[in-house]
Amino acid sequence: MAFNGIREFINALEKTGDVVHVKKEVDWDLEAGAISRRNYEMGGPALLFEKVKDYPEGYRLFNGSLGTFRRVAISLGLSPDADVREIYRVFEEREQSPVKPIIIYGKKAECKENIVLGDDVDLNEFPAPMIHDGDQGRYFGTWDVVVSHDPEKNWTNWGMYRFMIHNEKMLTGYPTPHSHLGMILMNQFVPKNKPMPIAIVIGTDPLCNMVATAGYGIGRNEVDYAGALRQKPVELVKCETSDLLVPAHSEIVIEGEILPNRTALEGPFGEYPGYRTEGAKAGTLCKVNAITFRSNPILTMIALGVPVDDASLAAAITAGISMKRRLLLHGLPITDVYVPPEGVTHMIVVGVRQGGIDMVRKIGEVLTARRAWANKIVVVNDDVDVFDMGQVIHAMASKWHPGRGTIIQTLASPKANTLTPGYSMEERRNAKGAAAFIDCTWPLDWPEEHIPVKSSFKEIYPKEIQEKVTASWGTYGL
Amino acid sequence: MTKEYSTTVNLYQDLPDGGELELLIKDLAPGRKKYNAKMVRAKVASSREKLPDGDTLWLRSMVGNKLAKPWAIKILKILEDDTMPGAPYSDMFQKT
Repeated sequence: MAFNGIREFINALEKTGDVVHVKKEVDWDLEAGAISRRNYEMGGPALLFEKVKDYPEGYRLFNGSLGTFRRVAISLGLSPDADVREIYRVFEEREQSPVKPIIIYGKKAECKENIVLGDDVDLNEFPAPMIHDGDQGRYFGTWDVVVSHDPEKNWTNWGMYRFMIHNEKMLTGYPTPHSHLGMILMNQFVPKNKPMPIAIVIGTDPLCNMVATAGYGIGRNEVDYAGALRQKPVELVKCETSDLLVPAHSEIVIEGEILPNRTALEGPFGEYPGYRTEGAKAGTLCKVNAITFRSNPILTMIALGVPVDDASLAAAITAGISMKRRLLLHGLPITDVYVPPEGVTHMIVVGVRQGGIDMVRKIGEVLTARRAWANKIVVVNDDVDVFDMGQVIHAMASKWHPGRGTIIQTLASPKANTLTPGYSMEERRNAKGAAAFIDCTWPLDWPEEHIPVKSSFKEIYPKEIQEKVTASWGTYGL
Repeated sequence: MTKEYSTTVNLYQDLPDGGELELLIKDLAPGRKKYNAKMVRAKVASSREKLPDGDTLWLRSMVGNKLAKPWAIKILKILEDDTMPGAPYSDMFQKT
């Protein structure tokens, strides 16, 4: 089933016991963030904070939309107990059939229940949380969908980018320079000294957030993939101050424009790799022209940090599937790609039908060709279940030859991930670094007779013994 | 009662002790406007003793760590524009 907005999703979580309503008043200033962070680290439910200090009754915060595979499964309409492999499979399958959005008008668009324009805009009217101590400011947009349009290619991008309150009417954000939004901004607007319209959408069907974390490639509208995952078109409505279209059942929509010639301090922020990494910098400055919102709005947030949280889970799925697609497009014999949430999109595991160091190099080159978010790429043979990190660690421990099985690839600016904590400040600032491709496959030039035999039930016993033992299992008193 | 502000610096030593400069600060007064930015012309010093009529200024490093002992700030003027000229991503800091 498809959810029209976050309220319907919260109702679904209610039925499965995956959300807790926090009735006690909490402070937007660090307390909501601290509760949410501790809750992630305890593997807890989604949290709806019903009373927020300094704000009217009804103004709420919601953290942890997709913070567990259970909640991801619920968002897809699957059984909450669906296995991670099943979630990947369904996601991959549904993505094959994009569904175009539909446009609705008037009162059916709930995000238009309240409209604040121009001089009346005051971002402080909403309980944007100060999430971590030491963040540069109150992050209004964390678990959001930022809508922008590429006028040259006539393509609408949805991305998940952070934006914080600078003052009553301005936000600063950090869509990285080589993100899709960053590229549209720097290629199409800054050279012409034109402001770039954006809309920051908060509180919508979490599958819309999920696709915003994905890299579908330039020219592909994420909204079509949200429709695919929902198996129902996303209903969109036009913004008040631009031609951008936004999900109609959103809680809050901030309409603004990124200024091409002004900037303001943005960051640091405790980001998805689990560290406050990249430092304060000149951010993208967004002048807010309008805010539209549902009555009693729910501001969705994510107290990002050490995994597992919504970001590491969403990226685990979207990045894994997108990398698999890219590798298959290059004709490589890939079985599966897994981005373990604990690896925070830095470490990925690739299963191959045929390994060898040359194959590992090809895989690494494809995955670091444009942007290298992942910089530790582990390649295993197809006898290893890539989704089972116990098996992956065993393959690394036993099959990886640190000498001949490691390729270190230098990443020239601006390919590297600016949020990688292990890079120096100079590397982070200049988006340069290095990646390691780790070969846990058997070398192709080894004679078959020399390849070690895996000592597992499935591999080291004759088939007839396996069948006998399996069939008789209950008779052994086990 | 003194007011409290914070500011972010590349390196703590970059801030001129006893100097006057333009500075982006965050107002830490409780309430909805806490953490809003202000661009000010101000005098700063490494202790209240050096700036007796100043308010409290907490220093944060580039990655957000707070210096244990606060500085002092005397705001001389709140500037109208709290933004900086330049394209997005142009860095505010002289060095990293």
